[in-house]
Amino acid sequence: MKKLIFLCVLFCLALQPALAEEALEGKTYTIVDSQGKAITHLCGAPDVGDEYIAGDNGHYRITSVDHTTLQARAESLGAYVLPDVSWLNQNAQPVTAQRRAVAMYCTHSDESYTPTDGKSSDEQRGGIYDVAEEFKAALEEQGITVYYSDETHHPHDAGAYRRSRATAARLVEEGVDAVMDIHRDGIEDPASYEGTVDGEEMTKVRLLVGRSNQNAEANKAFAAQIKAVADEMYPGLIKDIYIGKGTYNQDLLPQAVLLEFGTYTNDKEDVLSSTGHMAEVMNKTLYGGVSGAAPVQKEEKENTGAWTGIIWLVVAVAAGVAIYAFVSTGSGKGAMQQMKNTFRELGGSVTGKKKK
Amino acid sequence: MSVGMIVLAIASVLVLFGVGQRVLDKMHLTDRAALILMGIIFFGGLLPDIVIGQVSINIGGALAPVAVCIYLLIRADTKKEVLRALLGSVMTAAAVFFLGRWMPEEPEKIVIDPNYVYGIAGGVIAYLLGRSRRGAFVCGVLGVLLADIAVAVMNRMNGVHQMLYLGSAGAMDVVVLSGFLAVLLAELVGEVTERISRHGSEEKAPAVYSSVKGEKQK
Repeated sequence: MKKLIFLCVLFCLALQPALAEEALEGKTYTIVDSQGKAITHLCGAPDVGDEYIAGDNGHYRITSVDHTTLQARAESLGAYVLPDVSWLNQNAQPVTAQRRAVAMYCTHSDESYTPTDGKSSDEQRGGIYDVAEEFKAALEEQGITVYYSDETHHPHDAGAYRRSRATAARLVEEGVDAVMDIHRDGIEDPASYEGTVDGEEMTKVRLLVGRSNQNAEANKAFAAQIKAVADEMYPGLIKDIYIGKGTYNQDLLPQAVLLEFGTYTNDKEDVLSSTGHMAEVMNKTLYGGVSGAAPVQKEEKENTGAWTGIIWLVVAVAAGVAIYAFVSTGSGKGAMQQMKNTFRELGGSVTGKKKK
Repeated sequence: MSVGMIVLAIASVLVLFGVGQRVLDKMHLTDRAALILMGIIFFGGLLPDIVIGQVSINIGGALAPVAVCIYLLIRADTKKEVLRALLGSVMTAAAVFFLGRWMPEEPEKIVIDPNYVYGIAGGVIAYLLGRSRRGAFVCGVLGVLLADIAVAVMNRMNGVHQMLYLGSAGAMDVVVLSGFLAVLLAELVGEVTERISRHGSEEKAPAVYSSVKGEKQK
């Protein structure tokens, strides 16, 4: 017992320098392809297996990360085929009866824009809330009901996702069609997000989805749908899609996405300029295809991601039960018997039958 | 939302319900009681929070799991078991707090989702302290709640005034998930070590082992 307490104290002390280092860390990693050509930059180290869909739809997977040179190598998976959005050019019928609702919140409540907010992080209420509120107003202009939470989730650490989970879950309970977590990036170079969209200077938006939950494929399909619509309506608005290892509370809804509106060195006015275009894109993505073959195609794509998620879920549960049964009995036959017992007991408790 | 997405959402809830029922079944509860408790966690999670000042407490996500913890502590066989569970909870809280601070915070940098790590910490700590799945549940649940309270205190000291939500994501809250995950981990680790030790004793003393073969460790 004494040893354990000693180890715990040692662990806490060992973390102190790590915390200090982490707070100061703002390392930008460059992702390069097999020829060494830079594809994009990331705030912090990516992880092997992460996927990346570039603005030109080049699809990559991270194969190695070098922490000395701050470079990550990625293999090309070819061009990512975005969903067909030809229905955008058809004459759509206006939506009348359908209830249209989305939700929005900010996990990292301190995130701000240095040129306009004066600092990159505000521990009371970051400039990111101004972006979220402008985006909310733009969505409402499109006739969408927005369930918006201005709750803060300080401090800015990995625990923020634990705290924002309560916010996200409460919003999802409203029966929304999509939930969006609004962020800004942490890379230093403002040029990486700057661009001209529809003849107007504004910052781009990065979409981020996680791959560690049952909704991963559905979330990815949703992000791809957003990019497909944006590429058609406002080319250049969506910078890229990053598929990371986290969950970002996207396990709460199949249509969940994290949006990075510019980076902290961008002028917030340029960021705000992109919210109107983004709202139009979200409206079309979620509700735009209302006539002809469009809804069918859209639903088919959504279903593909969802069914993949269901298969993933069933396989994960079955594998978990099988591993546990095998470990506890030590034989295939015993494992089968234990699995049968488990399901019989579970079924019995649902139907009210007593355990024999 | 498409049909597939609705089915996916329902399947996710059913899996959590099933796993939760199996976990609670091991907590000195009958099958039926575990099922009812899962119902309370799920439906209680949908009820409005109880708000006391700057603290918002959810019935399904915090009160129900804490009630199970209290029940387990009362039903514990020895005082030592109670002390181990409480010490484990404080240690888990420290681990949750520091993991939250230490793990990468930017979404691109996250290597393993922090919300899954807390339950693993609770399970490991509880197993090291007392090889107890019930202790693991107490550590997983109380550890996360205590860590949330510690963060709220730290925020207040730094002049940041924000609501403290305890279990407000209901059945999907990290409090509930950590409790379940901690038990599953303690169970799996326990079964593996038990099997290894059984295998070792079988090799050393086959005659003795054969007489207890098939008996399950409590």
